[in-house]
Amino acid sequence: MADNDLLIPVADSETVRQTVSHAADRAQERDGTPTLHFVCPVSERPANAADSAAAAEAEALLDRVSVWATDDLGDDASRVAIETSLVGLDVYLFNPGDYADVFGAYARENGVTAVVLDPRFNPLGMAPLLPPLERELEAAGLTTELAPVERATRRGPITRSAGLGQFALLFGAAFGFYQLIATELTTVNLITGAITATIVAGVLRRVSTQGSVRPRRLVGRVGRMLVYAPYLLWEIAKANVAIAKVVLHPRLPIDPAVVEFDAAVWSELPATTLANSITLTPGTLTVDVTQRHFTVHSLTADARRDLLAGGLERAVRFVFYGRAAMRSATPSERGETPDGSVDSAGIDSAQSASRTDTNAGDSE
Amino acid sequence: MTPTTIAAGVLLAGGVFFTFVAAVGLLRLPDIYTRAHGASKSDTLGAGLALAAVAVAFGGGLSSLKAGLLLVFMFITNPTAAHAIARAAADQGIDPWTADDHEGGDGE
Repeated sequence: MADNDLLIPVADSETVRQTVSHAADRAQERDGTPTLHFVCPVSERPANAADSAAAAEAEALLDRVSVWATDDLGDDASRVAIETSLVGLDVYLFNPGDYADVFGAYARENGVTAVVLDPRFNPLGMAPLLPPLERELEAAGLTTELAPVERATRRGPITRSAGLGQFALLFGAAFGFYQLIATELTTVNLITGAITATIVAGVLRRVSTQGSVRPRRLVGRVGRMLVYAPYLLWEIAKANVAIAKVVLHPRLPIDPAVVEFDAAVWSELPATTLANSITLTPGTLTVDVTQRHFTVHSLTADARRDLLAGGLERAVRFVFYGRAAMRSATPSERGETPDGSVDSAGIDSAQSASRTDTNAGDSE
Repeated sequence: MTPTTIAAGVLLAGGVFFTFVAAVGLLRLPDIYTRAHGASKSDTLGAGLALAAVAVAFGGGLSSLKAGLLLVFMFITNPTAAHAIARAAADQGIDPWTADDHEGGDGE
């Protein structure tokens, strides 16, 4: 029976929630009555560790974890047992080997043979803990598995509930587009268009719409999108000229660097729009987006400064949330600075970009 | 030479110029990320200007509208492709080229 059990070391990390839900999935796949052992290491000196602040935090985390796990297990919650425990209270955890010893000891005591690891599990802070920890655990005869959370998107269902509103919206869009392409409003076109649009709307309404259709909000967004489009075009044209200069310059004065920042946009569509707008604007290229954390590759220091000045972000907020949202702080005002600037020019502009947060100057 | 022809010609010349810049960028830039910049962006504006020339040449009407729609699709798909390339490169663990990798690369 213990063969079915899983040991999941947890610590406060961005991906701990997903790791828990992965562990719950694994438990559901297993027969019998598996037990999920969530253990939280407390790295503290032996003396009165149990009532230290770190231990209290760890207890709170374990409480949350067991609520999440019960949640994720759903109907299987009665079949799968959940154990939580603080470990390492009586030892001083210093390196991956210490952690492996503690987890290994726990596994032996409880007869667990399989470990699910959170890829971001790192209570040590800076030093990389995971690869050596994995090796040590394997050496101790445990099978380890990394929870697949690299793309930190929560696996939501791809289909969403959709009613008549969504159907009407998609039907209208598909039908209108069909007639536009067909050019002439003949009877044949109207009939085939209606059939096509019905199929499209029927099949896709659960996939390509999100939330309920609110006509007024929709009209507002489309209207503001029409304002946004020329602005974006103008930005693209301006930036293209700047990049053309750089590319054709005999010395090729580029200074590429990767910038990471959290954008002030909160759902899929605005984030996608912003990511695509950033990529369209020459000199900046969205490499990855996780929730609202953007990883952007930039070609020149100027492109970086423009990006963090937040013009595009502000415009996207305007499109999706209206005029009031435009006035939120820009990325540089929020203290986002371009990391990894390499040459002196890059650092200068990085500093000037971050300095704008002191005078909070509105760039317009 | 009607004004329409001239306008279309100017737009087309702009389109050719930016497509040329894209090609030059592809050859001159040092790594996959910077090349993705060069190849995808100037190209978007180049093709965009060419399509604008088409729209002007058709002189308004539905055909011009269709050219405009093509432009919209390109503006959605082009960055998506560039993003896919860049993300694939990042997933492969390819480190971006920096000015440090090149001796004497003094920025402006």
